[in-house]
Amino acid sequence: MWRGAGLLALVMLTGLVCVALGSVPIPLDKTASILWDGVLGRDLTGNTQAVIILTVRLPRVISVFLVGAALSLCGAAMQGLLRNPLADGATLGVSSGASLGAMLAILMGIQLPMLPLAGTAVLSVIFAFLSLLLVLFLAFALDRSLATNTIILIGVILTMFMGSLMSLLISFSGPRLRSLTFWTLGSLSGAGYAEALFLLLALAVCGLVLLAHARELDAFAMGEENARAIGVSVRRVKLTVMAAVSVLIGVCVSIGGSIGFVGLVIPHISRLIMGPAHKRLLITSLLLGGVFLMLCDLAARTLLSPVELPLGVVTSLIGAVFFMFILANTRRRAA
Amino acid sequence: MKKTSRILSLALALLLALTLTAATALAAQAESTILTLTDMLGRELSFTKPVERIVVLQPADAEILYAIGAGDLLVGRGEYANYPAQVLELPSVQSGFETNFEQIVALEPDVVVMTMMSQREEDSKKLEDAGIMTVISNAQSIQGVYEAIALMGKLTGKTEEAAALVDSMRASFDEIRQKAQGKTGGSIYFEVSPLAYGLWTAGTATFMDEIAGMLGLTNAFHDLEGWQSVSEEQVISRDPDYIVTTAMYFGEGLKPVEEVLARPNWSGLKAVKNQNVFNSDSDEITRPGPRLVNAAQALYEFVYGK
Repeated sequence: MWRGAGLLALVMLTGLVCVALGSVPIPLDKTASILWDGVLGRDLTGNTQAVIILTVRLPRVISVFLVGAALSLCGAAMQGLLRNPLADGATLGVSSGASLGAMLAILMGIQLPMLPLAGTAVLSVIFAFLSLLLVLFLAFALDRSLATNTIILIGVILTMFMGSLMSLLISFSGPRLRSLTFWTLGSLSGAGYAEALFLLLALAVCGLVLLAHARELDAFAMGEENARAIGVSVRRVKLTVMAAVSVLIGVCVSIGGSIGFVGLVIPHISRLIMGPAHKRLLITSLLLGGVFLMLCDLAARTLLSPVELPLGVVTSLIGAVFFMFILANTRRRAA
Repeated sequence: MKKTSRILSLALALLLALTLTAATALAAQAESTILTLTDMLGRELSFTKPVERIVVLQPADAEILYAIGAGDLLVGRGEYANYPAQVLELPSVQSGFETNFEQIVALEPDVVVMTMMSQREEDSKKLEDAGIMTVISNAQSIQGVYEAIALMGKLTGKTEEAAALVDSMRASFDEIRQKAQGKTGGSIYFEVSPLAYGLWTAGTATFMDEIAGMLGLTNAFHDLEGWQSVSEEQVISRDPDYIVTTAMYFGEGLKPVEEVLARPNWSGLKAVKNQNVFNSDSDEITRPGPRLVNAAQALYEFVYGK
């Protein structure tokens, strides 16, 4: 209970710090009064600082939080479902599948009038789901057991395969090369309230679906046979969880590009703090993932200001070091 | 004794033969060097036969070669060369990081014209190992473009045409500079990549920055060098007088200018309020070629009217 309250406080605090700091320096008291005025709905047109705080930083920080939360939640769910500590959207080829879908959408110019990114999102989600199905189908066809190593290996192969397909697309892209290149370098820099709302909807629906399956995921942890024995409908749960994960990863990739390591590292840290029970684990992963990505994004937009770093680069740099640290620590403890 | 003398005489004969061939080869080379030039990497190049078949990898160099009337010497182009329209009739070869050397060699060029912007130095070595001369252009500024034009002129025997092209470009730029003199300047922000894909802008050492200076405008991101990804809040706080997007329109969604004007949180910017947003032709304003004049003229008309 206390830990839960502490986590929520951490999220709020990080969020406020990330809104207060940015590439354009704005004094703290100014930030606070602008936020307060914003809450009260006062008219702030013409005030550049208010525009920056309320329409650039705030929606971006919210979007970044939601993406981090979603990716990390997906990682935790996949790790539970596949009983595999290395499972994650990126390691299973789901993110690259989503990226491939997004690239196709950009290349073919699929856009919906209201949300320019919705066309990209739809194809991302479809491709994320298809690549997840493909990984599992291939793994099943190979050894009929969905064994951990097989799945990871196939995920790696599929990621490489998707990567080469993407390179192929780029070399055929012609005049759209620039759009594609900038998209692959993409960040959440342009995320506004529309994107945040889109992410929130996806996270609310899929997050609830995943949370509702927390007990089944606990059962999976004892092995699929045992889960089946205590009355879990294995196939249905698997499909539901996978669909939810695909939708979330697809939406995240279409808005923020592919962002690595969040879904891999954060669930591990959450497990260290909260233990393996999925209800707590999923919620903790969600909150910590959001905090982690908000901090990474803060680094991305302030370290070299006014220049921005790609968010994926920052997460991979921090995440890889972090992951090695955790690995070394657990090894030492086990020894 | 007899044996040694025989070996000696054989060695002597061999030496004589070697010197003779070397001498004739040298003489032949000295005789048939018909053209020497220094390319923009500072390499001395001497040509022993007239340049009749050229493969050009960089779009801007292709534009220059056509502009000085040397288009008929071209036998191949880099895949991104798309102007003037005739260039599209040439066979295209893959250029850049995945340069296809087989394709180039198969076209049997005397010379490959390339640039350091998108090719590596190893690429030129590889071609030279295959017996193909390379000429490297490397224009980073308008002055550099003049040098590239002169180089192409010398290479193709069109020195007069090249000089005329440089003179006309210089005159056009001078005219623009004079017309802009004394006019109220302002700041200009160049948007190379739109918000949806993350903002990128052009700082100093770009043609956009140079043209802005010519028009008496300050680049809003004059503190950066080259192309950089920047924060949206920086653009908002710098509040430029003019916004130029180089985004391309592919026929779906909002047009680039409309898209900038439609950004809800940009409505307070001076450029958006005064509708001072312009879609510049990306090829014209980024390629180190003769069409920089068109880009500068279009930008002048947008800022100051006709």
